[in-house]
Amino acid sequence: MRVQDLAQLSTRMFKNNPLRTWLTILGMGVGTGAVVVLVGLGFGLQQIILEQIVFGETLLSLGVSSTGSQGIRLTPDTVLEFEKDEAVLDAAPLARFPALITYKGLTGNVFVQGVEPPYLRYAGVTAQAGTVFTEEDAADTQSIMISPAILKLFGIPDEEMNNFIGKTVSLRLLVPANDGTDTVNEIPINKEYVVRGITKEQGVLNVMMMIPELRSYVSIEEYERIQVRVDSNSNLPIVENKLIEEGYRVTALSKTVEQASKIFQGIQIVLATFGGIALIVSAIGMFNTMTVTLLERTKEIGIMRTLGASPNDVKYLFVSESIVVGFLGGISGILMGVIIGVTTNLFLNFIAGQFGGQAVKLFSFPLNFLLFITIFSAAVGYLTGIFPARRASALNPLDAIRYE
Amino acid sequence: MAKPLIVARDLSIIYNQGKSNEFKALQGVNTDIYEGEYIILFGPSGCGKSTLMYSIQGSLPPGEGTLLIRGDDVYAYPPSERVYFQRHVMGIIFQSFNLIPSLSVIDNVALPMIFCDRDKATRNRRAQSLLDRFGVGHVSHKIPAMLSGGQQQRVSVARSMVNDPKILLADEPTGNLDSVSTQQVMDKIDEINTFDRRTIIMVSHNAAHLSYAHRVYYLKDGLIVREVVNPQRKQIKPVREGETIVTELEQLARLFPYDSVETLRVKSMVNFLTQEYSFDQLNRFERVIAFYIQGKIDRDALIKSLVLSKERGGVEVPEKEARRMAAVAERMIEHSSDIKRFRARKGNDNIFFSQHKLAERMRDHLSNVFHIKLNKEQNENMVELIADRVTGVVNEAEFNQRLIRGIRSRGLALSEREADELTRYFEKIIAQGVDVSYKN
Repeated sequence: MRVQDLAQLSTRMFKNNPLRTWLTILGMGVGTGAVVVLVGLGFGLQQIILEQIVFGETLLSLGVSSTGSQGIRLTPDTVLEFEKDEAVLDAAPLARFPALITYKGLTGNVFVQGVEPPYLRYAGVTAQAGTVFTEEDAADTQSIMISPAILKLFGIPDEEMNNFIGKTVSLRLLVPANDGTDTVNEIPINKEYVVRGITKEQGVLNVMMMIPELRSYVSIEEYERIQVRVDSNSNLPIVENKLIEEGYRVTALSKTVEQASKIFQGIQIVLATFGGIALIVSAIGMFNTMTVTLLERTKEIGIMRTLGASPNDVKYLFVSESIVVGFLGGISGILMGVIIGVTTNLFLNFIAGQFGGQAVKLFSFPLNFLLFITIFSAAVGYLTGIFPARRASALNPLDAIRYE
Repeated sequence: MAKPLIVARDLSIIYNQGKSNEFKALQGVNTDIYEGEYIILFGPSGCGKSTLMYSIQGSLPPGEGTLLIRGDDVYAYPPSERVYFQRHVMGIIFQSFNLIPSLSVIDNVALPMIFCDRDKATRNRRAQSLLDRFGVGHVSHKIPAMLSGGQQQRVSVARSMVNDPKILLADEPTGNLDSVSTQQVMDKIDEINTFDRRTIIMVSHNAAHLSYAHRVYYLKDGLIVREVVNPQRKQIKPVREGETIVTELEQLARLFPYDSVETLRVKSMVNFLTQEYSFDQLNRFERVIAFYIQGKIDRDALIKSLVLSKERGGVEVPEKEARRMAAVAERMIEHSSDIKRFRARKGNDNIFFSQHKLAERMRDHLSNVFHIKLNKEQNENMVELIADRVTGVVNEAEFNQRLIRGIRSRGLALSEREADELTRYFEKIIAQGVDVSYKN
């Protein structure tokens, strides 16, 4: 039998028995829809976490800070020492000084952080408005990045965040005196800095500038933090353990992400199980329908067999019919699932917008996953069809033709 | 000598073998069917005729014995290869049409070609030309349910021919059809045999179809009990001299298809002892009388047809005898109309042409024919008796008894012989005159 004839013969059900066919498809659709929605929710939750970490380099770096207790200090020498390790590609420091920031006559307390561009990459600092420092900006002396909390300090609403880019602010550094007293020397910087970007850091008042620029006002003897870039994932725990042994406090983002991923995989499996149960129920329903169809068509099978249809022709007819139903069930399930997910996303975003919260995508549907569901549902169709099809092809044509 | 197309040797088919409801549908059937033959398998329900046909079709493997089609044992092939034979050698027509209700007429006809991987254009061309040939081309895009039974069966004939099979099998193809459609379908099948030279094997229990076939196999209880050759068709099966001869039994078998050979032999003997005329003559006689009763020919034409020689399709009755017969027939028809009138006046009698007058006329006629002189009382009793018989108050036997009975007890006091003759004659007239059609 030719493929186009097979297609024509196996889609007759839409004409003969449209209600039952569409109900069967709907049944399969609800089952796959449940899987799509639940697994989509799992993907969405995972993505909310992962979206925060954009760079691969972030996952391959360790954040090193001093514990303070053992008198271990992070100095420029420490940076060089770290870089000696073969597994370490690079080490980027961060120096921090308290400072005062002034914008249009308003002044507030902030921390000025001096960094090199690689540090931003290793620490995963990104901008929600404006631009981040890149390698070309290493010698920049004119611009700074600020954290969003500073905008709040100046009473600028979030919506006008973008307008703030390009505005100028002035800074005064507050440097503790090196004489053992609590005296703080105020070092005014007699120029205006252009705000080039706003970071995503929440709840902190940070201003970021390039280390050379900071160094031109104060001498930096101790760093707050050093980001160590390790060459490979396998060396990550080795370097981490070595640093911990040396008495540093080490934080690895990769670990957090790994744990988060594991948790979300667990959640996904639970969700997929619930969806799977729904899918099994609808597959049993479809199996039932296919069996009833077989009984209904017994006479027709007999006629076809006596007219020269081979047992395989009959089998293909049945299997292709159930694959069509399964496939369309999958498609309709995907439609249902995606519509439910996207609507919920829109609704949540609307609510978040109303109450000033951050918009999130709770549901996410990767294309590969949808493709898998499509193929999977066709496969379920095949499986539910193969047993009735085998029975149909094994029927004795004469018994079949006399069946009423 | 040509080789037979289908050869069955000791073919046995057993249903539910080994179970308590084991049933031997065929018990050792031997048959040779030649290419181009029209064979009818005839017999009562459950005789195995359909079983034999479906075994030839390739759907019922023989339990014992061999079945060769074109020299091939098709049951030796696996089912996947057996279908090739079903596609290209066999066409089939069913009693219940068995069209697929969800496909259009043209797709139904093209269906066997779909299984042969033929492309759509070729299929539709072939299917449409066959539908046109069988007079259902104009409904090709309707679904079967919108067609009459006769149309559906002609569609099914077209379907059976779509792959140009060598053998056409038909399982009581007219069993569900009215007489007009039956005629159309039988004519088409006959055309396929005579014009397309296809071998036809038809299962039937309608004796009227037997004249189409070259040979008829009579089946009973799973056995072929008789093979009847149709003398009117030129035989294809080579006849070895002296082995089988066409006898009167073949002719009788067609006249009385439900009787056994023994009964036919009895009939043959009785006919010779009681009749001057052969079955053949009687057959023609019947046809001529039928025309006369229906009023299609008059008395002169009746005499002419009776006198005409056998060679020219007549009955070959001597002219004097023919004239006598015609006179009797005419008289009987004439008086039968009095019976009709009498019965028609059941409710609305009138004085001009009352029942009494009609009964008197019949009485006079009867006494004339049998030359019986009746006195006044006998006359009155006779009128009363005729009225009673025609209205159904008395039956034939009572009528006869009353003729013999004494005059005092309302009889006619005729002799037994006179009474018998009169009764017989009068009954014949009544038979002609009584309207037996069903009235709503």
